[in-house]
Amino acid sequence: MMERRWNLLTGEWVMVSAFTQARPTNPTNFCPLCPGGDEFEGEYDLASFDNRFPSMKLDAPEVESIGIYKKERSNGKCEVVVYTVDHESAMSQMPTHQIEKLIQMWVDRYLDLSQNRFIKYVYIFENRGKEVGATLPHPHGQLYAFPFIPKRIEAKLQALSQYYDENRRCAVCDIVENEMKGKERIIYENDSFIALVPFYARWPYEVHVYPKRHVSTLVELTNIERYHLSKALKVVTMKYDLLFKQAFPYMMMLFQAPVNDVSYSHAFHFHIEFNPVKRDKDKIKWMASVETGTWAFINPKIPEEAAKELRNVEVEL
Amino acid sequence: MKKDGESMYLQSLVEVRKIAGYRQFENGEILLEVTKIPSGFKISGEVKGVVDDIELFSFPRPDRVLANNWQSWGPTRVIGKDFVLNFPRELIQKFGFSASLMPEIYFDSLISDYFIASDSFTIGALKSNVGHVYFKIDAEHVSVHLRYFGREFDDWTVVEPIVVLNLDADVGLPYYAQLVAKENNAVFSSHNPLGWSSWYHYYLDFDYEKMVSDLEQSKELNLGYEVFQIDDAWEVDIGDWVPNEKFPSLNEMAKKIASYGYTPGIWLAPFSISETSSVYKEHKEWLVKDKDGNPIVAYENWNKKIYALDTTHPEALEWLKNLFISLKESGFNYFKIDFLFAGAIQGKRYSLLSPIEAYRNGLKTIREAVGDSFILGCGAPLLPSVGFVDGMRIGADTAPFWDVNGPDIGYPNAYYALRNVITRSFMNNVFWWNDPDCLMLRTEDTQLDDKHRELYTAISLFLDNMIIESDKLSCKIDLNLWELVKRYKKYGRRIFKVRGIMEGRYKIQSCGVNGCDEIIINDLATVDYSVNFDKPRVELIKDIEKRDDGRTFNYYSEKENKGGESK
Repeated sequence: MMERRWNLLTGEWVMVSAFTQARPTNPTNFCPLCPGGDEFEGEYDLASFDNRFPSMKLDAPEVESIGIYKKERSNGKCEVVVYTVDHESAMSQMPTHQIEKLIQMWVDRYLDLSQNRFIKYVYIFENRGKEVGATLPHPHGQLYAFPFIPKRIEAKLQALSQYYDENRRCAVCDIVENEMKGKERIIYENDSFIALVPFYARWPYEVHVYPKRHVSTLVELTNIERYHLSKALKVVTMKYDLLFKQAFPYMMMLFQAPVNDVSYSHAFHFHIEFNPVKRDKDKIKWMASVETGTWAFINPKIPEEAAKELRNVEVEL
Repeated sequence: MKKDGESMYLQSLVEVRKIAGYRQFENGEILLEVTKIPSGFKISGEVKGVVDDIELFSFPRPDRVLANNWQSWGPTRVIGKDFVLNFPRELIQKFGFSASLMPEIYFDSLISDYFIASDSFTIGALKSNVGHVYFKIDAEHVSVHLRYFGREFDDWTVVEPIVVLNLDADVGLPYYAQLVAKENNAVFSSHNPLGWSSWYHYYLDFDYEKMVSDLEQSKELNLGYEVFQIDDAWEVDIGDWVPNEKFPSLNEMAKKIASYGYTPGIWLAPFSISETSSVYKEHKEWLVKDKDGNPIVAYENWNKKIYALDTTHPEALEWLKNLFISLKESGFNYFKIDFLFAGAIQGKRYSLLSPIEAYRNGLKTIREAVGDSFILGCGAPLLPSVGFVDGMRIGADTAPFWDVNGPDIGYPNAYYALRNVITRSFMNNVFWWNDPDCLMLRTEDTQLDDKHRELYTAISLFLDNMIIESDKLSCKIDLNLWELVKRYKKYGRRIFKVRGIMEGRYKIQSCGVNGCDEIIINDLATVDYSVNFDKPRVELIKDIEKRDDGRTFNYYSEKENKGGESK
């Protein structure tokens, strides 16, 4: 079965897929992403391929609603995005140039998938570490090309549009301007990007990466900006690993404007969120009843203190 | 309650909520609602009764506005308060219906069809399925009108929604276009093909021998076309869509083109019927007529009077359907359908539908007949075509000359054609694929120089438009520019931004896998521009593998290391 079902209580889509249940969990004796593994016969540099265990497919089966219960086809795409052939690597350990190539691949995937008119949102992300559900240690991320705009993206579009209407400016442009004055929450800055623990952080060591120039997608970054982004990603993930001197689990999420729909590109500012689950070396901040049930977060770490800690972690590129 | 069509004057557009409510007018009534949307308001409503022209509201005229003409060839340009419409009177008889859906008011007024924009606002209709939204611009005011041409509505019927956006033209038009696409659920081809057309070198002097010669040349030059389209010249008459003595059968033509690996493309003007055609002689009942029952001349061209097909007449529709089914069965898969405005002229039809409804009937019939073949609209009413065509001409015909002093009335002219390519760029890949009209890359038999060619090519590429070349390929051609075309197309889709629409000093940023390239056009008239290609730091080669289990693998590897850092 592969379909999406409408939640009448919250007004959101739920994807139901029996395929995802079959995926392997942290195999110890082999890596499907290494050459000779399940997915690749030989060497490669970077790759993005259809997930063997998808929750959406371009040719998903037709479905029919049942009475009050609305269903739609799960016609989207789930891809595995492999960063490098090097099994032991990670974003924090990859050469910056490899991250630059990864960014180029993300750009291509975004443009390529947006050619399917029914795709409304291309969501690129990485789950790193078993604490956030990653099933394979090989450096990789994923992307979901949704046939709808997910609820939290809608919330962002609405909030950013509202700010734009009230202030005639982009909210993130204003945040960038503000943060660069105080520097209190900035953990890294280069010519094109700032990385900061946001004023409104939900997770203890949450970091956002914002381009200084208003762009609504990764595609709109110039080549030098893409290079600066690769440096920012490398620095943030290195700082994470050095903070507790361990491979730091996180969820990395790229937020770009919708495709084939109203994009609100004047108000929507491309950004990356790192949502790490650790609140201390051996302590996890769980997405528990309050967070899951109400979407209201209690952050046990004062963002300004988290920023100071991360800022003080010295890294060398 | 407002009565008898009393119009609503607003001191400024922030007062637009005041127009909500019930109004009566002669023989009809309207109920309007205004709702808040991001960055503006949406006006929606319903009408009942006999409806001709309703003025919804008016507001002070800004010093300059971007005004749009209703169809492909017409200008989208910035007009100041000193602007005077200078349409040569002698041409009104021949091309009046081409210039406007409402020639009875167009030539004595200033009109913007579908949308209008300025330095501070963008206003536009979200659809045109039955009625026509237009803006009448007088010395001091802009009034917003909804026109139904005397259409009778027995029940309350939803009117074309209008959005009022507090955004300037640069930001507001792309947003407006996305709202239109969403409202119409616009679906069109995911690919805009690279191709060739016979028109802009051969014009009517084209035959099968020349077609074969250019097919051969195109292969020798390895131009990489996907579509090869024969234009006007092949038919017996306008309305008699069978090959004349210069061409073999349609089957043979299509087969020949396909043998070179190209999609066969063909031109026709399906809503046009010439006075000399057999359709005119035998089926006058299929034509749009005046109130006295005489066929109306829709326009004059080919030194003939051209009449309009009544696309509400069941027999005419059947003929139209069979025409396209037969063309498709002959092997054609790309249809350039031209002079489409003829299908939307005012007049008496078999059914009591509005001209817009009649036009859409015709397009729907063609779309159903050709299935998923590529349809390129031309000379077409813009908003009513959304959802039916894959590509759309969005400017005047191009020409082998650049005449900045020529009349800006939709006449062939590379200068005005390219102006519209910029001012209507926001429609591309949202309503359809914009057709900027053909690239003429020949360096002989033309008055265009290197700069004209480069600018036309670069703008069309940067805006991710359709690219169709139109040159006799035995001529000297700027193959370096065509190499740029081929290289650029390999990069894939692009996201672009156009700035400076109101100022007329344009900046186009075009981004894709190769980075963000930029053109600054200081003055289009004098061809004063600069192009800046973003220097790639990383160039990836992509290999696609389709596996037996149906999955796709995209492999990326580096062409060469141009990065500043060690790997």
